[in-house]
Amino acid sequence: MSGHAANPLHHPEVSIANGKTYLANFVISVALMTVALLVVLSGMAPFDVFLVTTAIGGLTVIIQSYLILHTDTSRGQFWHTFSLLLFVPLFIVTIGLTAWMFHGLYQRTMIMPARSGASPMSLHTRAGTR
Amino acid sequence: MLVHLQGSWSPALGRLCMKQLAFLHVPILEYTFAVVALLGLAAVGAVTYFGKWKYLWREWLTTVDHKRIGIMYIIIGLVMLLRGFADAVMIRLQQDMAIGPHSPGYMGAVHGYLTPFHIGQIFSAHGMIMIVFAATPLLVGLMNIIVPIQIGARDMAYPYLNALGLWLTGGGAALVMLSLFIGNFAHGGWYGFLPYFELPYSPGVGVDYWMWAFQLSAIGTSLGSINLIATIVKMRAPGMTWMRLPIFTWASLSTNLIALTSFPVLMVALALVGMDRYLGTHFYTAGMGGNLMLYNDLFWIWGHPEVYFLILPAFGIMSEIIPTFSEKTLFGYATMVIASFAIGGVSWGVWLHHFFTMAAAPSVNSFYSITTMLVGIPTGVKIFNWIFTMYRGRVRFELPMMWALLALSLLIVGGMTGMMNAFASNDYMWHNGIFVVAHFHMMVLVIASSIFGAVEYWFPKLFGFKLEQKWGKWFFWFMVLGTGFVFVPMFILGLAGMTRRLDYIPYTAWGPYLHLEMVGIGLYGAALLFFLAHLYVSLRDRESRRVGADAWGTGRSVEWMTHSPVPSYNFALIPHINARDEWAWRKDNGLTELHPGDYEPIHMPKNTGVPLVLGAFFFTLAFGLTWRIWWLTALSTAAIVIMIIVRSFDTDTDMTIPPNEVERTEKRRSDRASDFIATGVPPYAGGPVGTATAYQRLPEPAGGTGASSGGRL
Repeated sequence: MSGHAANPLHHPEVSIANGKTYLANFVISVALMTVALLVVLSGMAPFDVFLVTTAIGGLTVIIQSYLILHTDTSRGQFWHTFSLLLFVPLFIVTIGLTAWMFHGLYQRTMIMPARSGASPMSLHTRAGTR
Repeated sequence: MLVHLQGSWSPALGRLCMKQLAFLHVPILEYTFAVVALLGLAAVGAVTYFGKWKYLWREWLTTVDHKRIGIMYIIIGLVMLLRGFADAVMIRLQQDMAIGPHSPGYMGAVHGYLTPFHIGQIFSAHGMIMIVFAATPLLVGLMNIIVPIQIGARDMAYPYLNALGLWLTGGGAALVMLSLFIGNFAHGGWYGFLPYFELPYSPGVGVDYWMWAFQLSAIGTSLGSINLIATIVKMRAPGMTWMRLPIFTWASLSTNLIALTSFPVLMVALALVGMDRYLGTHFYTAGMGGNLMLYNDLFWIWGHPEVYFLILPAFGIMSEIIPTFSEKTLFGYATMVIASFAIGGVSWGVWLHHFFTMAAAPSVNSFYSITTMLVGIPTGVKIFNWIFTMYRGRVRFELPMMWALLALSLLIVGGMTGMMNAFASNDYMWHNGIFVVAHFHMMVLVIASSIFGAVEYWFPKLFGFKLEQKWGKWFFWFMVLGTGFVFVPMFILGLAGMTRRLDYIPYTAWGPYLHLEMVGIGLYGAALLFFLAHLYVSLRDRESRRVGADAWGTGRSVEWMTHSPVPSYNFALIPHINARDEWAWRKDNGLTELHPGDYEPIHMPKNTGVPLVLGAFFFTLAFGLTWRIWWLTALSTAAIVIMIIVRSFDTDTDMTIPPNEVERTEKRRSDRASDFIATGVPPYAGGPVGTATAYQRLPEPAGGTGASSGGRL
C-alpha cells in the first residue's frame, strides 16, 4: 500500500519506458510482419510457411517483451524477467504435447483428397513429397 | 457486417426485438420473471424503506476492503449456486418424466416438459454456472478473506484491482442471469461444442451470451490471481518464512499460479470462437483451413488446470479445519506443501483425458492415462496426512469438521472413480456417459462440502458469532442423503451405459434409478430449506453465540489472533510470526493476552466507486457484443478506456487511520470480547518462555521494538 500515493509516472516500471525503444519496437515489428506476409505470399510449402511464421511470431514476442516490457537483467527488472522465464516450461509442455497429439491425429482423422485447401499442419505428410 | 446473420438486425437495437423477450412468451419464464421481479422490488423497497442506500454504497459497493469484497464474492456464489441447483432440479425432473415412448409430454415437449432446445440451455447453464459463477466466486471469496489475515497483512496487494475483479465477475453473472429472460443461452454444453457453436449452426445469441460471460469471469479471475500471488509473495508479516505459511495460503498460492497461467488460454480459445462468429474467420470450422479439434485442445488446456484451481483451495480448507478439530498440528506439513504444488504441476499435463476418444495415437493416450493416474499420488499423500492428523487427536465433531470429513469421504469415492476414468480404454466405453458425470459431481461435492465447512469455520471470524448447530446438522445430513440418492443411482446408470444430456430416456429399465435420483433431489431441496433455517436461526439468536478472537478455542493459525469480527485494518499492529502454527504456539507459551502500549497511524486504501462503474460498463460492453448493438459496444469501450486512464492519474487513493481511532476500535472490541471470552475460550497451560516477539512495527527502527511495552518480551 505504501508508495501507491506517489505519482504513477514515478513508478519504476513506468519511468523505465521511453519513446526511442517504443519506436524501435514498432519499426522492427512492422518489418517482421512484412517478412511474414512475404513468406505467406511466396508459395513456399505450407508446412514450411507454418514453421517460418511461427518462428517469426516467437521472435516478435521476445523482441517486444525486451523493448516494451524491458525484460532485461538489470537490478530493477531482473525478477520480472526471471518470473517470465519460469513460464517457458509451460509453453514447452502445452505446445509440445499439443503438436505431438496433432501429429498423429491428422493421419487418423483428417483424411482429405489431395490438393484440397486444408490447414498447414495437415499437409505435414505431403509436404515432403512435393 | 462480415458474417451472415439470420433474423433481423437494426442499428439501434442490434438483434434485439420484442420476440427476443423470452419472459413474455415462455410460460415457465413468465412465472420466474414475476418472482424475480417481485423479489428485486422487495429488495429495493426494503433498502429504501430502511434508508440504507447510502450505507450500501459507502460500506459495500465502493469498498476495497478484502473481507467485504470476499463476502460479496460469496454472496454472488451462493445466489448462482441456487440458480445452478434450480437448473439441476429441472434436468432431473425432465429425465424423471420422459422415460419410454409412452411417457406424456407437456408444454410443447413430445416427452416430459422441456423441449430439446430448452433442456440444452439448462444443462449448459447448469455446468457453466456451477463451475464459473458458483464454485469459483465462492473459493475466490474465501481466499480473498482468509489469505491476507492468515499472513498477517492489512489488505491485498492491489485493493482496487481486487474490487475490479469482483465487479467483473458480478457483470458476468448478471449477463448469464439476463440470458434467462432476454434471448436464450448456449444449448450445446458448458464447454462448447465446435463447430456446433459456429454461427451457421448456432445462429442465436445463446453462444454469444455464454462466450462473453465466460470472458468477463476469466478476466476477473485472472486479476484476482495476480493479486493473491502478489499478496502472498510480498505482504507476509515479518517472521513468516515460507515454511511457516499456513497451509490454506500455500494451497491458494498454488491454485492462483494455476489460474494465472491457464486463464489466458481460455481467453484466447474463446476469442477465436468470437472471431469466427463475428468476423467470419475459420479457426474452428471444419474446412477452409480451420480445425475443430484445436478448440477442444485449447479449451481443456485451461479446463483441466481449472478443476484443480477449484479443488486445491478445498484441500487447503480441509487442512485448516481438521487440525483445529483434532487439537493437533497438521501431520506432514512439508509433504502437504509439496503435494499441493505437485497437483498444480501435474494439472498441466493431463488435459487430453477429456477427449481420449478424439483419435489421438495410442502412445499419446497412454501418456495422458499415466499422467492422470499420477495425480493420485499427491492426492493420496494428502488423504493420509489428514487421517494421521486425526489419529490420536482429540477429534470434535462440530459442523466444520463434519463437512471436512464428508469432503474427505467424497474425495475417496471421486478419486477412485477418477482412477477408473483415467484408463483410456475405459473411456472408450463410457466417454460422454453418466459415469463420468457422477465422478466429477463427487469431486465438485468435495469442493461444495469444503466450502460449507469453511463458511461454518470462518463465519465467527468475520461476523463475531457462531452459526447454530441444530439446523446446520439437519442441513448436513440431508446433503449427505441427497448425495447418496442422486449419485449412487447415477454411477449405476453410468455403468449401464446411459449417456449425458439426454432429453428423452429410451429404456424404461432405467426408470427406477431415475426416480430414485428424483428422491435425492427432493432431499437436496429439503437440505436447502434447512440451510435457510440454519441462517435464520443463527442470525436471530446471534447474541447468545458471540465469540472472542479464537472462536473454536483450538484455532492454530494467525487469523485467530485478531478480533472477531475482524476490524477493517485486520491487525492494529502487524504481528511477528515465531512459529508455523503461530496462535497455537502463543497459547502454549502464554502470549495470548499481549497488548501493545501505543498505536500507530494505519495506512489504508480509500474506497472508490470506479471498479463498480467499470464492471457495469464491461457488462454493457458484453451485452452490446452479444446483441451486436455496435453503438453500445463502442460507447462502453470508450467509457472503460477513459475511466482507466483518469483513475490512473488519481493520486488521492489512500487514507490514514489515526492512532486514537485505532485505540478506540481496539478497546471496543476487547471490552466486547471480554464479556463472553470466559465461555468461548478454554484456559491455556504454559507460561512465557525464551525470547518472543509479539508485534513488530513497520518499518522496524534500528535497535528493535523493545521501547514500547508489550513489544518484545
